Amino acid sequence: MNASPTTHRGIRAHGLTRTFGAKTALHPTDLDLGPGGVVGLLGPNGSGKSTLLRMLVGLVRPDAGTASVAGVALAGDGTAIRRACTYAPGELAVYRELSAREHLDWLLRGRDRAAKVRAAAIAEELGLPLRARVRTFSHGMKRQLHFAAALAPTVPVRILDEPTEGLDPTKRGEVLDLLAADARRGTTIFLSSHHLGEVDRACDRLVFLGAGRLIADETSDSVARRARKLVRLTYAPESDLARVESTLASIPGASVARGVARDTARFSIHLDVEDPRPFLVALGAQAALPAPATIEYGQISLQELYRDLYGVEGC
Amino acid sequence: MGRDTRFFLWGGLAYFVVLEVLLAGAILFWPDFEDNVDALRDMIPIEALKGMFDQIETGGISAYVNGQHFFKGCNTVGSLAAVIFAMGAVAGEAQRGTLEIWLARPISRRRLLLERWAGGALATTVPVFLTTLTIPWLLREVDAEMAFAPMMLCAVQQSLLLLAIYSATFLWSCLSSSPISIAFGMLLFTVLQFALYLIQVVTHWSLFRLTDIDAFARIGATQSLDANTWVPLVAVTAILVGASLAVFERRTP
Repeated sequence: MNASPTTHRGIRAHGLTRTFGAKTALHPTDLDLGPGGVVGLLGPNGSGKSTLLRMLVGLVRPDAGTASVAGVALAGDGTAIRRACTYAPGELAVYRELSAREHLDWLLRGRDRAAKVRAAAIAEELGLPLRARVRTFSHGMKRQLHFAAALAPTVPVRILDEPTEGLDPTKRGEVLDLLAADARRGTTIFLSSHHLGEVDRACDRLVFLGAGRLIADETSDSVARRARKLVRLTYAPESDLARVESTLASIPGASVARGVARDTARFSIHLDVEDPRPFLVALGAQAALPAPATIEYGQISLQELYRDLYGVEGC
Repeated sequence: MGRDTRFFLWGGLAYFVVLEVLLAGAILFWPDFEDNVDALRDMIPIEALKGMFDQIETGGISAYVNGQHFFKGCNTVGSLAAVIFAMGAVAGEAQRGTLEIWLARPISRRRLLLERWAGGALATTVPVFLTTLTIPWLLREVDAEMAFAPMMLCAVQQSLLLLAIYSATFLWSCLSSSPISIAFGMLLFTVLQFALYLIQVVTHWSLFRLTDIDAFARIGATQSLDANTWVPLVAVTAILVGASLAVFERRTP
């Protein structure tokens, strides 16, 4: 944590900011990721994920702030950083007239021959026909082609913008397995995604952006612990929801989560402790409350968790 | 072979073939032209073009070849080629959506842009020199000859003008995401330049005054390039390339 930017082999950013015209795409953002591990970058559309990733590899110049990737400080057009890491863009565009092998070679220009050989091997492992023209590829195949190029070079950091977008569940699993294996070798992987399920499975740390602001930066374990302090109740929509909310808030050791969607009669209760039994006992003692339609505790999906913790929908 | 190399090579080859066909046709027509120059001049409605016939009568085969090959062939086909080679340089990547993957490789933007500029610059100018080199061989077919050195100096001056047009289009491509708009814009500009050339009172405002029979006659007479022409052309090209680099350095994919 105390390593200087030039020795830190992961990703660091301090006060990274970018505006496009009147819109602030990214408010001042600090990051300290790795070295090693898979970090998920989450957020709804337009939350600033791609802008952040592009800034880290020098494709978008920050208005303010500093960053370093794999020990290389962000400067100029970011060429030095892009030598030290790989980047797979989220926008899927290809040169349709090239064959898959030619395209891999093109994507890997500036890398060593070993990376090109490895990329071809990864592409073949994923089942891509290397002699076929890229114009015959489906969306998912193009995504895998970009992924193979990003995974092949031996670098300490990979920055991947939605690497599994458009893949079927089987391929998504294969890609995540390859990333997990790469992370076990000590690589820092920073990937953005809309798919909370896959992030849940692959990432050991989560960074959450909303409206260009860093909302959360937590380990998966910490998120799981928070999930264990969360009880979700639903009531029939015709219930007196204002009274339900005030009564729930009055129970000691519990607080009603912000972002409660009252129109769906759903309440998220944050407990002070992981053991929900005292709260449930107190809940049962509230004779004035109607009986809840459902009570959920324990395994809550990440999507629900973020909605309840941060009030952000649409991940 | 890389995709850029392939594009410039095939594009340059096609451009060379068109120039050569135009040149060969013009030179093989020379005996007929020489015999009927008065009748042909009478058929021309525009004074500026009639003046060219006078210059050809005075200058002979040299003026005729310079007019046919450089003024007509290279200025029209060459300008078109310059625009085609430059318009998609960056704007084409942006339109196709490939700008990000082009920039995402571990290669500096300066190098990416200069490589692309150089590829197009070669494709724009090399065919001018190659076709010019075939002039002595073609002239033998009509029992004529021209001095070699002034002919190559004319090719240099012609190439410098085409490079300036190419570099202007290139800069526009660095700023834009629409190659078609660039093509139409440059087409309009070129047509306007030719129109200016044909109006005697404003003909000196046309860029093509730099590569007309008069200009090449002066090169033939002095056996050297006029610094008042080539220095500004080189300077303009250098400024346009510098501006392209500055714009491209800050371009967001």
